[in-house]
Amino acid sequence: MNPRIITKDELNRLIDQLINTTKVYAPVRDKTGARWAKISSSTEVYLEEVNTRDPAKGFFFPRCELLLKFDQQGCPVEPEPPGATVVFGIRPCDARGLEFIKKFYTGQDRNDPYVRARVEQTVLIGVACSQPAPTCFCLAVGGSPHSQTGLDLLLIDLGNAYLAQPVSEKGEELSRTYPEADERSLKLASELREKVEAEIRTRIDTERLLAILKDGFNSAVWAELSKRCVNCGICTLLCPTCHCFDITDESVRGKVARYRVWDSCQFPFYSRHASGHNPRFSPSSRFRNRVMDKFYYTVEQVGEISCVGCGRCSANCPAGINICQTVQEIMETK
Amino acid sequence: MNPDDLLRSRAKELLNSKQVRVVLGWTASPGSPVSTPLFARTEEDADRLKVDETCSLNLANYLLRFKDEERVAIVARGCESRSIVVLIQENQLRREQVYILGKGCTGVFVQGVKSPSCAQCRYPNPVIYDEMLGDPVEPAEPDPALTQADAEFDRLSQNERWEIVSADISRCIRCYACRQVCPNCYCPVCFVDASNPQLVGKTHNLSDNMLFHIIRALHMAGRCVECGACHRACPMGIDLMRFNRRVCRIVQEKFNAVSGVDLNYPPALTRFAPDDPQEFIK
Repeated sequence: MNPRIITKDELNRLIDQLINTTKVYAPVRDKTGARWAKISSSTEVYLEEVNTRDPAKGFFFPRCELLLKFDQQGCPVEPEPPGATVVFGIRPCDARGLEFIKKFYTGQDRNDPYVRARVEQTVLIGVACSQPAPTCFCLAVGGSPHSQTGLDLLLIDLGNAYLAQPVSEKGEELSRTYPEADERSLKLASELREKVEAEIRTRIDTERLLAILKDGFNSAVWAELSKRCVNCGICTLLCPTCHCFDITDESVRGKVARYRVWDSCQFPFYSRHASGHNPRFSPSSRFRNRVMDKFYYTVEQVGEISCVGCGRCSANCPAGINICQTVQEIMETK
Repeated sequence: MNPDDLLRSRAKELLNSKQVRVVLGWTASPGSPVSTPLFARTEEDADRLKVDETCSLNLANYLLRFKDEERVAIVARGCESRSIVVLIQENQLRREQVYILGKGCTGVFVQGVKSPSCAQCRYPNPVIYDEMLGDPVEPAEPDPALTQADAEFDRLSQNERWEIVSADISRCIRCYACRQVCPNCYCPVCFVDASNPQLVGKTHNLSDNMLFHIIRALHMAGRCVECGACHRACPMGIDLMRFNRRVCRIVQEKFNAVSGVDLNYPPALTRFAPDDPQEFIK
């Protein structure tokens, strides 16, 4: 699939055309940042921030999803299918997060119909990062500001135009009418990649970390590291790969709706059993679970670490806990 | 002596003389936009202490974790001292358990921007302390922008206000950071986590989100010290202080009370006075 050149005007026209036929979501400006919203015009797109506040995982795994409805007569009503959706302006780390969610819920012998329906209906148009945030570390966890994983089309900002690299058939279809990229543009794109990658300096020896975590369950480091944690759910709920949920029924005037909502292992009652026993009640055991899950448990479950290096957990932690520093301290303690 | 050196030397003296077991303060967190709490127990720890405008959390939040310690020292700015007053008044802490290292505050800045709560601050200096680190600061002239914005909001119709607040609250992802960073939100089981019976739904629908935030705001009536920690912690940028400012204003208007400024003046909702407004009894 050949890379193409799309001028910024042409791209805006493309977005507006897509809006006419399908739901289009993009980062929009917020009081002090950017967030995901359904847009009705290409002028709403706001790409000045590296990360949106909320991760993109909601496009496959919404924070609150209606599973079914029923009334006193029974007769469950299944929700409307999600419908065709275009996600524009997603960053490569968030796209890798979605790839993880897809793998976790629909890979191998797993088949979550709700996630699958969204995966099939969604087109992901990514925009490569040109300026990483201080908390970014995608390179340390196998990603890149120009990573194509999980995307249908990757756009690289060349100034007046974008270099559009199709990654899937869907991406090829969107971009095939535009002219093929010339040598100069390709060279510029690869220079931009080198430049932005050089700005991300954090490195994590994930192999060594894995070995340490494998027999680090009873390490004293967890109690020490978790002391400052305020036990909120920011790090997990904003994580592009955290995928835990709770199921809850709401009943209004005889009609019942069943929802699947995001949940977080950082909440004390997340692990409470029906008997009342809570195996993970202590803050340090919950803190340990998050780190173990990111860098060890999911390696066992689906074969890869589940941190994409977006840095949202570090950037938003009210107690100033930085995941890269946490990992560093774990490696130094053992 | 610069403020951090003074803090470090006093912390070491307090630890060495065994007056306290631990000093609650702050230290730098490389790569993070805010400083991180540090619970110093040794001289080496004490040498890393600092307090500046990037200390965004309200440190009093951690005090109850040290309840079993004989005596703890805490670096307290105006807000922290007011939270401590509330904790003492609510019998969560005894005054003699805490040694307060007071510090005048010129506001919390997150990524260079002054926190809106700080722009309106009337109590930059600790209201109670055992010693001051450096001189008290002059309270700055409150920034009128926020008061004006509130007045404009109040002039809107009920429907318009509901629209604005709904748009904000519908974005809540229920991470409960607002509750977790609040020094005066210390219930062992929060109403929102209660499951038998379940009091608030767990969905992210507007009704459940709104119920959580309204009840939390009401629970803070006469207790909130307007430190703004919840507002700064919110990852979705929700204007949580809109509720809290309103509640504080009502408490002040109705009961002539400001929370956490006077140890001898009980919180408005825990005391009865014959001249309290009785307008709810019709």
